[in-house]
Order: sequence, then C-alpha cells, then structure tokens
Amino acid sequence: MKFRDYYETLGVARGATEAEIKSAYRKMARKYHPDVNKEAGAEEQFKQIGEAYAVLKDTEKRAAYDRFGENWKNGQDFTPPPNWNEGFEYSNDGYSGGHPGYGGGFEGDQSEFFESLFGRGKHRQGGRGGNSRQGMNFKGQDHHAKILIDLADAYNGAKRTISLHMPVQDASGHVSTQERKLDVSIPKGIKAAQNLRLSGQGGPGVGEGPAGDLYLEIEFHPHAIYRVEGKDVFIDIPLTPWEAALGTTVNIPTPAGSTLELKIPAGTVAGRKMRLKGKGIPSAEPGDLYAVPSIALPPANTESQKEAYQTFEKAFDFNPRAHLKG
Amino acid sequence: MTQTNITWIEGAVVENEVHMTIVELSHASRTPEDLIMTWVSEGVLSPAGSSPQDWRFSGDSLRRAKTAAHLTHDLELNVPGVALALDLLDEIAQLRARLPRD
Repeated sequence: MKFRDYYETLGVARGATEAEIKSAYRKMARKYHPDVNKEAGAEEQFKQIGEAYAVLKDTEKRAAYDRFGENWKNGQDFTPPPNWNEGFEYSNDGYSGGHPGYGGGFEGDQSEFFESLFGRGKHRQGGRGGNSRQGMNFKGQDHHAKILIDLADAYNGAKRTISLHMPVQDASGHVSTQERKLDVSIPKGIKAAQNLRLSGQGGPGVGEGPAGDLYLEIEFHPHAIYRVEGKDVFIDIPLTPWEAALGTTVNIPTPAGSTLELKIPAGTVAGRKMRLKGKGIPSAEPGDLYAVPSIALPPANTESQKEAYQTFEKAFDFNPRAHLKG
Repeated sequence: MTQTNITWIEGAVVENEVHMTIVELSHASRTPEDLIMTWVSEGVLSPAGSSPQDWRFSGDSLRRAKTAAHLTHDLELNVPGVALALDLLDEIAQLRARLPRD
C-alpha cells in the first residue's frame, strides 16, 4: 500500500489552518470537478482531493494522521503500525469520494490507504436511510453508470454486453465491488448524454419494496472521422484545389455503414457545410449529416509539379492578400 | 452443441420516453424533494404541470438534476450558483462540440 500525503494533495503546509485547508480544497474542487473539467484524469484528481479534505478538515482524523510525521512521502510503501490510532476518537462515518454515474463506477471508492486508516464508510443508501427496519418496504436504490458505445450503434441499434462494477453490501454492512455483466439492447437513435433506464436493475428493494432502477448514461467512443453535435453528425471532406474549383462527385461513408454520393459543385469553398438531410442520428425527426469541405494542397516535389504550380501563377491574377494593404 | 439464449434487457430512453414524477426524480438523483422544488422555482428545472403533484420531468431534467446535486454537495454552491453554473456548463458543451477534432 502506498502512503498518501494529504497535505501535498491539497498543496498546503502541514501547519495550515482549517480556513487555509478549506480554501485550498474549494479552489481545487472547482477546478477538477468532473462535471466541470472534462479532461482525462480530472475525476481521479477530484477523488484524491476529496479524500484528502475528508481527513484534514476533521480535527480527530487530522490529528491521528499527523502522528505519521512529515517523513512520509507520497507513494512510499506503507503499512499502518498496530494500534496506531490508539487514543483517538473519530466518528467513523466514512467518506464517499465518487459520484453515481462517473466512469462506470459507483460511489465509495476511497483509496486502500484511507480505508486502512479510517475504515470503509457505510454505503450510502439513497437518502432514505434504507436499512431493513422490520415491516418497512422501500424501493431499492437507483444506480447510475456511464457506458461508451459506437456511433454506429446509435444509427443501427445494437445488442451489447456491458460490465459494471457494482457495490454489494453484505449482512454486516461491509461493501465490496463486484463485476456484473448485463446484456442490453441499445435503441436506435440514442444520443450522447441521454440516459437509458433499465427498470428493476438497480439495488435490491427493502422488505417487499421493488428493486431500484439502473440508469446508463450514453457516451460515444471518439471517432476518427465523425464528430457529433446532438443529433447532427459532421464529417470533414478534403478536396484537391481542382476538385473544389471545377466540381466533382465524392463518396461519403455514413456511420450506418453505407456510402453516399455527394456532388461537389464548382467553386466550393473550404468550410462551407453541405447538408445531407436526414442522414444524422435517426429518430422521428432525424438529424443531418454535414460534409465540411477543406482544401488539401499537394506538395510540389518534382520539377513537373513545380511547373504545374507556375502555370497556375501565370493563369491567375490572384492576390489573396489584397485586403491587407494599408 | 449447446445454445444459450440471451435475454436482452430493453431500456427506455429517459430523455424521450420517460416523464418522471418528483418522487421518481428525487429517487434517481438522490435529492430531497424540497430541494427539487427550490430548483424548479429558481428555473434550474422546468417540469410540465402546475403543482408539484402534477409535475412531469422530461428531456434533460435527470442530467441537470444529477449535475445540480453534485455541485451542491461537492462545492456547496447555493441555488442561484447552481443555476448559473448549469447554464454556463451547457454553453461550454455547445461551444466544445463545435470545435473540430484534432
């Protein structure tokens, strides 16, 4: 197990005041919050910040943690000495670092280091304090997870087996993570950021209560040639200068797997989108597919290629910088 | 040869087909109903229907409620702060989607 330097994580000195710790946490939490920061790694950073703050904001936990002294460095191998926290009392309310619905994970993923020191918190129960009080019936917890699908799945519909890491609580309240496989129909026409509700696939109900639901938030794998905006899809179409000037016909692959012929009119300008109506993500009102032309300039390597460009030069009285004249 | 029959689970697309009551939204977003009512009065969520019992939340209500719950919990934003952050996040998402991929 690796030691975690919570002071270093928050970027504060060991002698920092509570106010300094809070301010450092707030600043970093805003920066790395996974709803705000979409960069890879932000979520992991956010969890570490949250864990560090959970310890340092709590006087008892901080005092116990401080007993390790400042010789310990981030990432050093670490085993807590026996009875290390003797004489300290802290309310063992645990800490929920994660969020429902981030990265296919579920809440309660504090580090092994944190758990070895402060124990694993009781799993949150969806705001209902849903312990099995006798005679009480509650609907089980709703679970959230993110799944990545291919854009083609949204065009054609698909059947996919997905794995989720689910928290499972045993009779003594201990939480462990189990892998669960689900065979799910991906409906045609689903879009990024939409949620698929699978009724009864969430947490088990309490008493006679029904099971909760599972919400799968859809995200598309990034695609090499398409980008997606809502139900519209964009594809870049590089053209040679002569194709753009004289017009041509190009084959456009669609995400559905078919090929469309697109007529490029003479005098096409880079960036002027051409709409293929109804060829976006399908639905009652389907999105559109936009071909975005760009002009690719061939390099002049050989003598004859250079001559060809010189012929251009002679043929045109063309100054693209005419407007720059003072 | 054995043949296994897989039962594929059919889901409902929340944004298109599901119209949640305040009880369902509260359960799904793990947010107390009174906070959801505050969000509605502040314009964070716009359900159809006139009274909380009749409210039906559709479209991106679930996503907005989840994000609002995270921001409230993690950054201790107040309700107007959450409303502003959600509007700005929507705007950033739209702008980002317009950027060409490198």
